[in-house]
Amino acid sequence: MITVERQPWDVMVEHAQKTYPNECCGAMLGSIDGEVKNVRLALPLENAYEGAQRERYELRPEDLLFAEREARKNGMDLIGIFHSHPDCDAYFSKTDLENSCPWYSFIVLSIQQGKFHHANSWLPNMEQTEAAKEELTHPNA
Amino acid sequence: MPKILIPTPLRQFAGKNDSVEVAGATVGEALAALTTAHPDLKKNLYNDEGKLRSFVNVYMNDEDIRFLEKEKTAVGSNDTISIVPSIAGGR
Repeated sequence: MITVERQPWDVMVEHAQKTYPNECCGAMLGSIDGEVKNVRLALPLENAYEGAQRERYELRPEDLLFAEREARKNGMDLIGIFHSHPDCDAYFSKTDLENSCPWYSFIVLSIQQGKFHHANSWLPNMEQTEAAKEELTHPNA
Repeated sequence: MPKILIPTPLRQFAGKNDSVEVAGATVGEALAALTTAHPDLKKNLYNDEGKLRSFVNVYMNDEDIRFLEKEKTAVGSNDTISIVPSIAGGR
């Protein structure tokens, strides 16, 4: 289960709406207590994909290294990645799956006509062949 | 000894440590020492063919080892090795 607090949630939604009609991406920092993850800080990161960003995103490893360092500095953990799907649902696509990492939660925000619509969280497996839906709670749920 | 920083989700496989100091003169030797000391980490980092998984990047200090000498990159006692995921996607 993953819970996103109000402040990071607002940052994630604002980043997704601001980058519309392109896909956005970022890192989620917080804490893990057993099976429960709590997102306390969201870091918007640049979509580094060099083609059509309406359909793709790419995170620079250097930016994830920065996110990991920020987490350690603030006594938090890097626990997940978020990105947006402009004008489509918050599913975990084949492209998402094949370029995922099983260590993290992946929150997908559906942005319809420039506004937040709904979100889901996904947990990909090690082989990057399937992703399980993770229970997600957020202020707009 | 070089230090390897362990990403949060992998700490459960590394004795709950957020970093581990290991022996090794190269990045490859250091990672081998890490997975020998903590065997459960191996399947998270390497595929069945013994190659680093596609979503695993390794940095020595601030440099991606792919742009150095890959796993043969030399490491010293003051160096820090980071395991950084490779992540992308799209609708």
